[in-house]
Amino acid sequence: MTTYDDRAVKLFIYPAILFMVIGMTVGVFMAFNTFVFPDYFSGEYIHFGRVRPVHVSTVTLLWLLSVNIGLMLYFIPRLCGISLWSPRLALWAGAIWWFSLIIGSNSFPWGTNWGWEYAELPMWISWIPIKFLFAVSWIMLVVNFFMTIFNRRFEKLYVSLWYSMGTLIWTTFTVLVGNFMIVWLPEGMSRVNASWFYVHNLVGLIYTPMGLATAYYFLPKLANTPIYSHRLSMIGFWSIAFIYAWIGTHHQIHGPMSQWLQTTSIVFSLWLFIPVWTVVYNLFATLQKDWSKYLQSAPIRFLMMGNIFYLITCIQGPLMALRNVNEITSKTDWVIGHAHISLYGTFTFFAIAGIYQAIPAMTNKPLWSSKLADWHFALNLWGSVLFLFSLWVGGFLQGLMWANWANGSSYAEFHSNLTHMPFVQTVAETRIWWILRAIGGVIILLGNILFVINMYNTIVLKQPATQETPQKAGAYL
Amino acid sequence: MSEIKKKSHEEEHRGHNPFVHKLDRSAILVIIGIIFLFSFSVIVVLIAPRFVDDTWTSPSSPFQVQMYEVADPNYYMSSASSGGKELQYVNHIRQGNTLLAFKETGNLRIITTPDLEQYVSRYNENGLKLTSRLLMIRDPEGEMVDKAVHLQKKMQEDWIAYHATATKEEVAKIKYQFVELYDPKVEEAFAIDPSGGIIQDWIDENFIILDSEPKQKFHKDYGVIYVQNPREFRIIPVHYGEGMRWRYDSKGRPVKDLQELTSPMMGFYSRKQLIELGEQIYAIEGCWYCHTDQTRTLIEDVVVNGSDSFPAPPSSANEFIYQKITFPGTRRIGPDISRVGVKRPSRDWHKAHFWAPKTASAGSIMPAFQHFFDNDPRGTGSSAIGIPNYQFEAIYQYMMTKGTRITPPTQAWWQGKDPIKTKEIIEGLRKLP
Repeated sequence: MTTYDDRAVKLFIYPAILFMVIGMTVGVFMAFNTFVFPDYFSGEYIHFGRVRPVHVSTVTLLWLLSVNIGLMLYFIPRLCGISLWSPRLALWAGAIWWFSLIIGSNSFPWGTNWGWEYAELPMWISWIPIKFLFAVSWIMLVVNFFMTIFNRRFEKLYVSLWYSMGTLIWTTFTVLVGNFMIVWLPEGMSRVNASWFYVHNLVGLIYTPMGLATAYYFLPKLANTPIYSHRLSMIGFWSIAFIYAWIGTHHQIHGPMSQWLQTTSIVFSLWLFIPVWTVVYNLFATLQKDWSKYLQSAPIRFLMMGNIFYLITCIQGPLMALRNVNEITSKTDWVIGHAHISLYGTFTFFAIAGIYQAIPAMTNKPLWSSKLADWHFALNLWGSVLFLFSLWVGGFLQGLMWANWANGSSYAEFHSNLTHMPFVQTVAETRIWWILRAIGGVIILLGNILFVINMYNTIVLKQPATQETPQKAGAYL
Repeated sequence: MSEIKKKSHEEEHRGHNPFVHKLDRSAILVIIGIIFLFSFSVIVVLIAPRFVDDTWTSPSSPFQVQMYEVADPNYYMSSASSGGKELQYVNHIRQGNTLLAFKETGNLRIITTPDLEQYVSRYNENGLKLTSRLLMIRDPEGEMVDKAVHLQKKMQEDWIAYHATATKEEVAKIKYQFVELYDPKVEEAFAIDPSGGIIQDWIDENFIILDSEPKQKFHKDYGVIYVQNPREFRIIPVHYGEGMRWRYDSKGRPVKDLQELTSPMMGFYSRKQLIELGEQIYAIEGCWYCHTDQTRTLIEDVVVNGSDSFPAPPSSANEFIYQKITFPGTRRIGPDISRVGVKRPSRDWHKAHFWAPKTASAGSIMPAFQHFFDNDPRGTGSSAIGIPNYQFEAIYQYMMTKGTRITPPTQAWWQGKDPIKTKEIIEGLRKLP
């Protein structure tokens, strides 16, 4: 019988939960200090341009990526039926991971932004090679995961393992392109293209497969029912493998990119409907046998709501790639809404569901309060609905205002429209939506503070449920 | 996925020990499939485009190349507080490298010795003579003073003869400026640029280069950047407390060399350095989170970035080939900056705006960037006591490259000379092929 060494899982998940709340606090600060009361706290180290990357880096790397690694450390050994190949290697990887990322993510106010989207981490801070350490830590994890999978005792690869293997390969290459190889390319559009390739694959080939692996593992666990269809999950996996890497250029529609490349990205973006709908249907159909579980369990609600948000994200995404829709939505707050529904509404919800399952299982203690979990879900749901809709509506109106500049039949007419509608007015008209967004953000933050309390009390206050440690292999599958 | 099933698999595979043997078929297929699909797309979308579309690597015009490779590295500026009232602009001129023109204007006449006569483009002459021989102008010295006085008299007499009814007061006002063209006999020199312009002197027709053979590859292009009427940049070093300072003085001594010019005392930076620093500042201040840097192929973009009479051409890939980082942007809660060098060329406006954006443009949500001026309001003025902090100048020089370097100013889009004919396209008179 296998004992699972979960120290590495805890090393990744526990701090990540804290960083979720810290990152969201920074986000709420910006929502007020930039948009509701612009530049109220003013100065070199605190203005929007320098604080925004702290928020983005904290929630994407310190929270979401870290927690996903933590959950993979949890379910990959359990799906393989053996303990992690080297728990010691994982602990070292975790130490390097937190050391480089905590320093890197909090260095931006002091002017260390590297200048490429989602690759803002600096190469060096003093003598510390931040990005190099991050990459080393990642490769240590990849080796560990693959060795665990190669040495597994259960022959069949469950779909979560497919997704995990995919993300381990993709992430390695994608992160290398976006963070290192980009400087080897010719200056100008080659680098921009590589940057968008990286940005989109970060979401599509890192967070998506990690999130889906999590969902595919934890939904059957939480609902205590097998997944609806393995074939469907494989169609979803292979279509992601085929499609995602092609669509980075759809961030540059109407921009200075070659038209054929834009068109290619649009076509592949539309094909995204295939992997998405297979996943969404598969997860829904899994729970279809017993919907009452949705009412009984907050984590299942998180998973299912994340699934609905995933459907919305992936209807938006391909449509935003269409040239005529893009004309209105691109460069507006709609895009910010879209980024939040995927990384927050979908993958953070999945990860939270995973934590609700993993922490009580690892610590062998029941959840401190399921009432608090219910509140956590309710606040998260209503907060994010307010948050997302205000960004979408505000962004869409913003796009329409800009497009209305283009009224008329001659350049003179266009230009006189323009002088009647200066740019700052379009900013002023968006303010009301920014206020609603900030309120939504506060609600979400409150919900997640409850989550931290709940988890802290579970880990620290509760007594172990039974004396039946260590856990047995297969007991959770 | 039942427990029993798993366990039976487990039993079956106990015997597998060698490493490769454990890599069973399904795992191998997954890994190979992932790598194959991924590398296929990487080749097409990441590697191929720049070989297919040559605008990704080729410049937009010879002017763009010369601005970045000839003008910027040889154009120096300083805001060192002792340098005088304004910024100091200096051209670094090198023998056989920098093209020079000596051109007379309405009230400026050039006198010189007969051997240098061939380099002067006279007032009534058509066409411009350019040379890469290092010559300079100065106020007349020695025997040239007499020559100047003599010529002044003669020209005033000519003027009176031409305007028979002129009064005495009017005659007294007819002053010509005389300068002497001379050979300083040096390999490199520094010339003050009184205009401090963003756009370099440029000529693309009706000119000749007097060199026997082109000294530099750009001198073979149809258009060239040149420096007009260079006048030596002279300084007087002065003691200031414990240290040394300097001030500009036409009767001072020439700057020794580049090392002295860029020394901390004089504080000169090349425009190339400042633009690169500006790009860094643009990155670390996160300007790119709110400002896009692309005029998209949309009517709203070409109109909003256009001038009063002409729309801006959409951004093309080759505008960005001299940038280490390019910031196309994802969000526009501040105006697009891809044509800001044409739309807002004023240094004073930008100073005021960076100091207090909400005052300079009402309703703006942009943060104040007072640290560009060391948080000292005197840094925003043009007084003698400037703040020797190059952050503002760097970001300003960086912004001024935006939209100004696509073509030479003689063929610029803001004069309606737009090869894409954006105006006809947005008015529906013409369709793109």
